[in-house]
Amino acid sequence: MAGVHGWPVRVLALCGGLGLLYAVPAGGIWISAERTLAWSLGAVLPCYAAGLFLWWRAPAHPVARRLMAAGSCAALGLVVRFTLTLFVEPSDWNPPTPLVWTAVLVARTIDVVVSVLLVRLVALLPDGRHRYVHERVLLGALWLLTLYPPALMASDVPEQLLSRLLVQPEAWLPAVGAGLLLVRSLLPARDRGARSSRLTLVAAAAFAVLLGRGSSRLFRMWQGETGVAYFIGAALGALPYLLISVGVVYAGFRHLLPGMDIALRKPVVYGLLWLIIGGWYLGMTTALGLTAGQYLPIGLAVLVAVSATMLFQPVRGRLNQLAARRVFGARPSNFELLVQCGTTLEHAYDVKRLAPQLATSLREGLNLRWVRVELGAADSGDGPFAVATAGSRAAGDIGSRAGVRLRHGEEILGFIEYGPKDEGWFTPEDRDLVETLARQAALAVHNARLTAELSARVDEVQRQASELNASRTRIVQAQDTERRRIERQLHDGIQQELVALVAKLRLARNQLRGGGSTVDSTLTEIQEDAVRVIDELREFAHGIHPPVLTDQGLAAAVTSRARRLPIPVTVHVEPTVCARRFAPEIEESAFFLVSEALTNVLKHADAARVTIRISHAEAALLLAISDDGVGFPAGSRLGSGLTGMRDRIEAVGGELSIESRPGGGTTVHARLTERRRETTHA
Amino acid sequence: MPDRNTPETTAPERLRIVIAEDHYLVREGTRRLLEDTGEVDVVAAVGTAGELLDAVERFRLDAVIADIRMPPDHHTEGITAAHSIRARHPDIGVVVLSQHANEQYAFALFQRGTDGLAYLLKERIGELDQLLRALREVSAGRSVIDPRIVEVLVGSHIRTTDSPLAQLTRRELDVLRQMAQGMNNRTIAESLSLSESTIEKHVNSTFAKLCLAEESQLHRRVTAVLTYLRHGPTGPA
Repeated sequence: MAGVHGWPVRVLALCGGLGLLYAVPAGGIWISAERTLAWSLGAVLPCYAAGLFLWWRAPAHPVARRLMAAGSCAALGLVVRFTLTLFVEPSDWNPPTPLVWTAVLVARTIDVVVSVLLVRLVALLPDGRHRYVHERVLLGALWLLTLYPPALMASDVPEQLLSRLLVQPEAWLPAVGAGLLLVRSLLPARDRGARSSRLTLVAAAAFAVLLGRGSSRLFRMWQGETGVAYFIGAALGALPYLLISVGVVYAGFRHLLPGMDIALRKPVVYGLLWLIIGGWYLGMTTALGLTAGQYLPIGLAVLVAVSATMLFQPVRGRLNQLAARRVFGARPSNFELLVQCGTTLEHAYDVKRLAPQLATSLREGLNLRWVRVELGAADSGDGPFAVATAGSRAAGDIGSRAGVRLRHGEEILGFIEYGPKDEGWFTPEDRDLVETLARQAALAVHNARLTAELSARVDEVQRQASELNASRTRIVQAQDTERRRIERQLHDGIQQELVALVAKLRLARNQLRGGGSTVDSTLTEIQEDAVRVIDELREFAHGIHPPVLTDQGLAAAVTSRARRLPIPVTVHVEPTVCARRFAPEIEESAFFLVSEALTNVLKHADAARVTIRISHAEAALLLAISDDGVGFPAGSRLGSGLTGMRDRIEAVGGELSIESRPGGGTTVHARLTERRRETTHA
Repeated sequence: MPDRNTPETTAPERLRIVIAEDHYLVREGTRRLLEDTGEVDVVAAVGTAGELLDAVERFRLDAVIADIRMPPDHHTEGITAAHSIRARHPDIGVVVLSQHANEQYAFALFQRGTDGLAYLLKERIGELDQLLRALREVSAGRSVIDPRIVEVLVGSHIRTTDSPLAQLTRRELDVLRQMAQGMNNRTIAESLSLSESTIEKHVNSTFAKLCLAEESQLHRRVTAVLTYLRHGPTGPA
């Protein structure tokens, strides 16, 4: 499209620009700044600037082209009008020479063309294309309005009425456009997205504003074309151009215009909005000041001009701020940034999330090109534990980076690096802000670390608690199992043997009564049986609790246990432990550990030798039972015996560890905190 | 430990003894058994170690039988009593009857010397001959250790780090092991197919290495055996 219609559009744009260059100073200086600037700067300039910019970036987009065309046409209209006013002799006006008449007609027709262009622009938002038949018909028909000025001028209408009739299309057409847009937004369509309700809202608001603006035209006609009334009229007249320009630029920037998928740089968009608002501000203040000068004494006029400037300044400032906010997003002030970051940091218990949050808010708050945040103690040796970068770091930025350390006390907890600002200089205030944030962040990192440590400890305590519960349960279960075993052994073993003895005794009595000679051998048998029962009972009692442990202590009991092992065993008992007595629970746990370990060696290890070491260090009793057997792979599940042992050892505040590898034997280590026995037994 | 080199000396008069045993039925049963033999005169039967020590002071005795475990604490009161009796009355032998088939108790009993002391398992009451013989041995100042304990020690494969046996030769250990099983030099010589004089030489060098050269022949023999038993033979050679 741009290729086909490229050059006429370009010529139009060029003519519009040249026209503005000529018309703004010409009108402001030689005609009357009061009468011209409000219009040329407040309406035509914004329209042209916005149109030119969008067309430049998206030459094929109808909205951009229409805006540019409207701005250029309006500029050309200015040129024609101002030239006429400057160069035509008063005598040529009334009655007008054919040249003047034609020029006036051109200017008036251009006004209508501009209005029609704006209607089409507004009515066909957001994509700029016809969607419904009524739009096509109605908007096409609007072109007929270009015949309205020549028709009126050709007819015999009085001059006064003529000028009033001529402005009507320009007055009402923007409202017509907004009305059409409203209708469009309300009609059902297949591809209407979520934005339609917003479009309806915008269209309704625009319709109301532009309708009001059209009505103001009537008021202006009635009040006349001079003085304050003129100024108000001019201000209101500029409104549609200003609104449409700002609205379209903003919509383009926000990607609300389908087909205009240009990436607009935020500073450029902001600059454009700034230009539009600035032009409007300049036009309005100048017009108001000069208008006042015409009707008031010079001192009062100056006062009014100054007041107007001051009155519009906050409005302009607010508008600029609004523009910046819409373009750059909610960009907080330094103080807001501080408060916002402070709140974030206060609740930042997760250091990993803290880094990106800090980087992003710093970058957005200070408008920096990039920010890199590194959290983690520099001296901890394991590097930063959280790194985040906001913005992209160009290669050329290396030289221009700066940084601030995060300190808490003497400790360095991280580093903030940042690049240059997107626009403007990095001020000392900015530096202060970064440093303040760094202090806050350091505190937050410190807190987060404490929190992490605390939660790790709580986890550990919970784990220990649940392990303790499990271990208690296992100990109780083991006790129950043991009691059942004892009961079984007493009933099924020893009691049965005694019953057998009773039976044999009865047999002996019978033999005795019969005078048999076998009674002696029976009694011998009974005695042997009884001795065997005694033996069995002794082993049994020893299994429950070895008396030698109580009577002579750990070393004697372990040595005695080792002596009964069927494989070679070496016992190293440190001389200091030999005769030493420990608290009963320590001795028992230690003995049962050795006993269980030796049982395991016999059952599973297939070992040729065992070594038992008992030593003593730092108020702890150390045990080690190693074999040269088959071992087992690391991470194997412990058998119930060793689990029971671990429970027992841990129950008395000890630690158990098992070292083993396939083919490399097994070593069981235990460490029991020493507790001396209160009363010792010989 | 009966020493077979020493000829049995059967005292013509009845042995005067005291029985210390807290369990009434066991105490009375033992008394009846012993008196029934006609070889023993049970002067008194008491229930605690304290009463035993009293009786030792009051009566003229040849030997006492003491339960290893007695009131008040039920630990090793019998051993303690044996030590104090032997210290004050070296002419009174003590037979300690124990329910523990555990060598550690025997070591505890013999820790100050073996003379006049015996360590027997309680069920030996039923084997009256062994009990009587032990009483005679201890009253003669000799020593007896229950075969069951010896069995444990001989069968053991333990090795402790501070063993004085480390300096013995293999042959000396062989001889010592046989000695521990109650053999005299002649039977050891037969068993090892060596001459009796060679055995004699090994025995003397063993005594020297165990620092027993100055002791009496009988005493050093028992002590050597006990040393052997205590510190662990290296197993069958």
